[in-house]
Amino acid sequence: MSNFAIDAKKANTYDAIVVGSGISGGWAAKELTGKGLRTLVLERGRDVKHIIDYPTGMKNPWEFEHRNQLTKDVRDANPIISKCYAFYEGTEQFFVKDAEHPYVQEKPFDWIRGYQVGGKSLMWARQTQRWSDFDFEGPARDGFAVDWPIRYKDIAPWYSYVEKFAGISGNKDGLATLPDGEFLPPHEWNCVEDYFSKKVAGKYQDRHVIMGRAAHITEPKPIHTAQGRAQCQRRTICERGCPYGGYFSSNASTIPWAAKSGKMTLRPDSVVHSVIYDDKLGKATGVRVVDANTKQMTEYYARIIFVNAAAINTNLVLLNSTSHRFPNGLGNDSGVLGKYVAFHNYRAGISAQYDGFLDSTTEGKRPNSPYIPRFRNVMAQETDFLRGYASGFSAGRNSYSDQNSVGADLKASLLNPKLGGWYVGSHMMGETIPKETNFVALDSVQKDPFGIPQLRISMAYDDNDEKMIKDYHEQLTEMFTMAGFTNIRTRDSKQAPGLDIHEMGGARMGKDPKTSILNAHNQMHQAKNVFVTDGACMTSTSTQNPSLTYMALTARAVDYAVKEMKKLTI
Amino acid sequence: MERRIALKNLAAATLGLVALPAWASNWTQATLLPTLPPASDALLADLVETIIPTTDTPGAKSLGVNLFVQRMVADCYDKTTQTTFANGLTTVDNLAKKATGQSFTDSTPAQRLDVVKAIMTSTDPQQKAFYNLVKGLTVRGYMTSEYVMTNLTHFQMAPGYYKGCVPVATKSVSPTSSGK
Repeated sequence: MSNFAIDAKKANTYDAIVVGSGISGGWAAKELTGKGLRTLVLERGRDVKHIIDYPTGMKNPWEFEHRNQLTKDVRDANPIISKCYAFYEGTEQFFVKDAEHPYVQEKPFDWIRGYQVGGKSLMWARQTQRWSDFDFEGPARDGFAVDWPIRYKDIAPWYSYVEKFAGISGNKDGLATLPDGEFLPPHEWNCVEDYFSKKVAGKYQDRHVIMGRAAHITEPKPIHTAQGRAQCQRRTICERGCPYGGYFSSNASTIPWAAKSGKMTLRPDSVVHSVIYDDKLGKATGVRVVDANTKQMTEYYARIIFVNAAAINTNLVLLNSTSHRFPNGLGNDSGVLGKYVAFHNYRAGISAQYDGFLDSTTEGKRPNSPYIPRFRNVMAQETDFLRGYASGFSAGRNSYSDQNSVGADLKASLLNPKLGGWYVGSHMMGETIPKETNFVALDSVQKDPFGIPQLRISMAYDDNDEKMIKDYHEQLTEMFTMAGFTNIRTRDSKQAPGLDIHEMGGARMGKDPKTSILNAHNQMHQAKNVFVTDGACMTSTSTQNPSLTYMALTARAVDYAVKEMKKLTI
Repeated sequence: MERRIALKNLAAATLGLVALPAWASNWTQATLLPTLPPASDALLADLVETIIPTTDTPGAKSLGVNLFVQRMVADCYDKTTQTTFANGLTTVDNLAKKATGQSFTDSTPAQRLDVVKAIMTSTDPQQKAFYNLVKGLTVRGYMTSEYVMTNLTHFQMAPGYYKGCVPVATKSVSPTSSGK
């Protein structure tokens, strides 16, 4: 090797590489740099700097040419992403357009993505509920997937660790199904939500309506002001980026914190092609990166590699990381890589109205809503389907005006709206069962614009999901009826998997290398210096919004990885 | 001087490479150009003003709601709706001429209101569709205009609080739902 080549290799060598800068990649960057490692963070999308790259963050409604409606051209060109509730004129810049990164839908799958520094942490729904042992013990008790290699006690201190830094609001509810955390003050109830919570508590011993735990700074602590973040201003336009840093995102929190250490090199526009595995050394040595602008391939090297590309893209990177030792994807002797992917079932909902509290209403805004933790099949199997569902719940009042007149009468009517009665509503968040038949795999022919194989995605609902939807409709109808709600209407959106944006698995954690990809520390069984701590690592899905668990698993895995590096085992 | 112009042009050229979303144009009433020819734009302006007229507060025309309506029809609706819109404007003018012998624009406000009421109550599906489209967009453009949201409905971008149970009497008309 010439001196020049040696120097070039040295220039591209770091202590650690993190693939992805979203919610888990940001945490990996913060923790690795915090422990003194020179860390290269690779992001396939463009840079999005906190505040200055939130072009719509301070815009008033009337400043949007189409008042936030998508144009026909955008909708026609993007049938997939246009289905996403958070995709509108003010957020178009943060979502991947359909043509940017094509994939093969072997079965209908709406893949919702955010390719930029911060990933989807910019636009996420900010719900942060802990898992309990009722979740971690699920697969072992109910006989699906494989047993989780960890239990609640393993992750509990790391939940606390990330919650304090991220800023999580919530109430200490003392529920075994949804453990309490390190909470900032909880969000406020409205009259009807409070009423419903009390009615449910009076009727059912095992059903609880609590305030959602959400990643909003309701009262800043010194650790938040040290990040340059301020109290949430209750604007409820979070997905445009928050100039106050009122909610947690990589952009507002972990990435600038890592940058401040002086140890981070952030390289946007870097599409990771694969992890390099050295057959002779018997370990991963780096990653191959396609520059998104020039399409040139460059190699970067490090002692440890964290793959945090987001669940499905992490599967893509690992499946595409082939070598003599691993012809079917990195660490994939077991053959389970890409399989047993799962998601959350968000198809079902229910709405109704309530005729009480007509002398009361709400004022201001709240970026959160109440939450009903899973109550089905918790202590024992009690239905004809496995597992259960959590539910979102909220109530409110809308104004309306009679628009049947015209002229001065219409104007007067518009400016003197009437207050409608209370509406109530709920949506289901169902656990789905990971199965070998739900998988992602590389397409043998089709490539993406970077020359990387396209993914074939094959995920579908099953009979268990259909039964769960039916039960949710029945149980929530019973609870709503008991509370005196009227005009109860159930719905099933029939939406395809993917639109829940909670896809998980494919590189699952487990005790046995024969049936899993990662061990109890998110470390690859067969490539010890590679760690996966995003959604791809999930053995099962439970019902909780998963991001908080990714954060905790990431901080825990970095702690382990750096200790192992010091012991020279990796 | 020349160098500054050159740099400015370079910046413009570079920016031009980026596909800027619609909001980047930083829309204001002053910069939003009509997509309709002047005569149709004038007719639409009088039409939205008839639907929401000036009283002790500004009406839809002076708030530029006609610009919003035509922009929305041009950018957010399909060909069929765009045709309904174009034909509807002609119909409005024809109805005015039939009733008063003058164009809609040259008619008096009272005459215009009669024409609009005729379309509003028409049994012709095309006229009905046209009226519902224009009325809906006019109401939306008016209610989400800066003037109305700032002075009349008192929109709060960042209330900083949520009160879940306040007496109805103290409620202002400010919409408290999502700030979208």
